[in-house]
Amino acid sequence: MKIVVGGQVDKQKIAKKIKEIAGDQVEVEIMDDIKAANTIKQGKADYYFGACHTGGGGALGMAMAILSSTKCATISMPAKPPKEEKIVEELEAGKVAFGFTSDHLEKAVTLLLKNILN
Amino acid sequence: MQLILMALIGGMAAILANKGIAVFNDSLRPVIPEYVENRMSRKELAATSFAMSFGLVVGFGIPFSLSANIILIHSILLGTDIIGTWAPDNNKGAAGAGVVGALYGVGLTYGLEAIVNLFEVLPVNFLEDLGAVGSPIVVAFAAFPALAVAYQFGIKKGGFTLILTGIVRQIAVVVSPLMINGLEISINPEGMALIAGMTTLLIFAAGEKGEESNVGDLVSIFSKRVERIKSNLPYLAVMGGLVSAATAYLILAGDPISLNLVSEGAINEAALAALARAVGFVPLIATTAIATGVYGPVGMTFIFAAALFIQNPLIAAIVGAVIISIEILLLGKVATLLDKFPGIKKAGDNIRTSMSKVLEVALLVGGMNAANAIIPGFGFFFVAGLYILNEIGDQPIVRMAVGPTAAIMVGIIANIFALFSLV
Repeated sequence: MKIVVGGQVDKQKIAKKIKEIAGDQVEVEIMDDIKAANTIKQGKADYYFGACHTGGGGALGMAMAILSSTKCATISMPAKPPKEEKIVEELEAGKVAFGFTSDHLEKAVTLLLKNILN
Repeated sequence: MQLILMALIGGMAAILANKGIAVFNDSLRPVIPEYVENRMSRKELAATSFAMSFGLVVGFGIPFSLSANIILIHSILLGTDIIGTWAPDNNKGAAGAGVVGALYGVGLTYGLEAIVNLFEVLPVNFLEDLGAVGSPIVVAFAAFPALAVAYQFGIKKGGFTLILTGIVRQIAVVVSPLMINGLEISINPEGMALIAGMTTLLIFAAGEKGEESNVGDLVSIFSKRVERIKSNLPYLAVMGGLVSAATAYLILAGDPISLNLVSEGAINEAALAALARAVGFVPLIATTAIATGVYGPVGMTFIFAAALFIQNPLIAAIVGAVIISIEILLLGKVATLLDKFPGIKKAGDNIRTSMSKVLEVALLVGGMNAANAIIPGFGFFFVAGLYILNEIGDQPIVRMAVGPTAAIMVGIIANIFALFSLV
């Protein structure tokens, strides 16, 4: 499985966190947000993670434009931490690109990976 | 005049949000086309905009505005995003949004004033101590270009830039004021440090080879959306002019760093900080605008820097309108430029990451100092406690705003304690 890190903030930290949790189970690559979204569109990667300060703009803007909102979900916003039920719901709905705020980075990545790997 | 400006800003921004022409919240921008192209209902749009923006108004915009008694742009424009998207999508709705938006602008000004006045008559007046929240950031902000270098080019180059910036700062301290032909010119250490750091970052970034960043492709895929923004240019120019004028009046600030600098009277440094921040925002605003056909009511935020450099509201208004127009007309060119120098786009992302990290630390320390000035001892205890509590509770308060919020809370607590003779 391959996860691309797009978004516009704290990319290095997201990639580090993914490696820390998933180890060799996933391949991680940090990309420019436009390229990351295109990689998903071409089927060369499975999931897109991205962060910014609001959870949707820099984090998911390009993914929304390139993949459409049917593939994208903002799972955390300022003052709204990520919830596991919502993540499960979005994954079941076929979402592959996820945006969250840099504040909630650790919890968001942890919960996403937990449910993706299961 | 200031009040009229705030009303006009509120009204105009709410109408722009209502028509889907411009929204302030970067997260809301990608959602607008979903509504415009009928993949999302107005109700869903309204709910999304509320969810995205309300927390930021209360947990970010208001605390900063209160701590320095200057309105942080987020307080007003996130509110008008909500107002505009809640109003129905027709002429009546737009008019309604305009009226409510204007009232919101006025209400916000009066409301903040009322709270500040209330603070002044309390038994323990903590307003002066509250100013200490901003003291560390007005110096520490100059470190962010070096940190952006570290994010992008590694710890060694980052450390080098940090040391270089520090040395430049100290040289400026020693040589200022400079005597040239009998003319005394004072050199600002932070300003010099910032310029040194930004120059180093941009030199490194411009030289970075790498893959193309594909922004140009966006322009060709979304050419209709770019055209949409261009067709709305007159409205956006007016909006930019209004915000620019209010910024020149020093009643409005575009970001927490320049807000604190302005409140300390360091206007030129505030302008430099706003300029550096704008560089960081170009990639974000340009890419989201091109891909969505929706612009931001303050554009790429260059208008804040210009207004602070100019300091004359009337001229600032004209220049602000011109800047927004140029930004929009050159949107395609900006994309080409970002593609030509992929390092610059990356630098934009890293500037925003490092700015928020510096703000987090500096405002936490500032919040602790302010709180401790209000109630010695208890202040340190409370802010440290609240910060970690906020972490455990998954940040109901935006991390950056914990310091200012906690300091304001300690001020209120001081007054409650005073009632029971606890201080």
